[in-house]
Amino acid sequence: MSASLTLVPTWMENAKSAVPDETRQHAKEEMLAALVEQYAPALYRVAFSVLRNAADAEDAVQETFLRVLRHRDDLDEVRDQRVWLVRIVWNIVLDRKRRAKTRPETDDVSELVRVLPATGLGADDRAAAAQHHAHILALVDQLPPKEREVLMLSAFEELSSVEIAAVLGITESSVRSRLFRARNLMAERMDRRRSRS
Amino acid sequence: MNSPTKNDPGSAAISPAEETLRLIARLPVPEALVSRVQAGLRARQMQAAEQSRWSRPWWLHRWIDSTALRAAAAAIIVAIVAGGGWQIYSHVQPAQEPEAVTVPARVGNGGGFSSAGAMRTPDTLKGPVLTKASVPDAGTDHSAAASHKTARPHKSRKTPKLAPPAPPSR
Repeated sequence: MSASLTLVPTWMENAKSAVPDETRQHAKEEMLAALVEQYAPALYRVAFSVLRNAADAEDAVQETFLRVLRHRDDLDEVRDQRVWLVRIVWNIVLDRKRRAKTRPETDDVSELVRVLPATGLGADDRAAAAQHHAHILALVDQLPPKEREVLMLSAFEELSSVEIAAVLGITESSVRSRLFRARNLMAERMDRRRSRS
Repeated sequence: MNSPTKNDPGSAAISPAEETLRLIARLPVPEALVSRVQAGLRARQMQAAEQSRWSRPWWLHRWIDSTALRAAAAAIIVAIVAGGGWQIYSHVQPAQEPEAVTVPARVGNGGGFSSAGAMRTPDTLKGPVLTKASVPDAGTDHSAAASHKTARPHKSRKTPKLAPPAPPSR
């Protein structure tokens, strides 16, 4: 008897909660759209710094937000959405880079020529600048993975060392020590390159 | 926090590597990136909705969304299982112990064996036949003998007389 009495209010509660469910879904979709508008540009730059290809970087951003869509019910539990999103896109681009073949430097040059801002430089100067930057990026690629990742993320001014530590899943002191080692290694390699040329 | 510090010997100034990386970190994003990403998300959501609509019939949607229906179905299943268990229990009754021990009927004085067409059965099958006990000696205490009779069977010194054995039959 008591079971039938409890069923009725439960059924009525379900009828009432049907509307708030739809509203909740709509709110989550709006939140997702706001996240895209706010963070898509930053995520694109993070992806491009690793993949160095505009189309691949945009795919990585799309993939990031698709994953967010799949876990949209967990959005309320995320404390720092920016760091969370950077972490997702970072893992995606590292995974793609691992699976992709080694990218020739000439691809970087052509891509950089295309994307680097003009800033009053002639075509030749732009090509030379692109080549210079491609060389630097090739040296960065030769760094050990842990130091390389910290060095690349440290270039983003919007990320503090605490946030970099959260993205990489390490401590802040590890971030600092790896950054120190990365800078030393880059300085050695640049000196070696200069001495050869 | 990411800019080089004085205490950091490896980076007294911004290194060429960091300069390049910062340049890339500040690159302009492609035009309409946000709208393309949002359009891709909307397309994926519609695709997922279509797939779920076609993969499940309408009554299944109703079923999944209705807690009352599911609760009723669960109650029916429990009732069926309980009823089936009761039926099995009611059929399988434990063997009842008899109130009294039934003794099989006596077969007969022959000890359960037939005469097998014998003309005459020896008297031995009937067992020894005891004659009356001998008369007690004089001077014996009658009361004691009487009490012995009731309490214990009288132990006479004389052996009981047995009937003479019958001749063997053919």
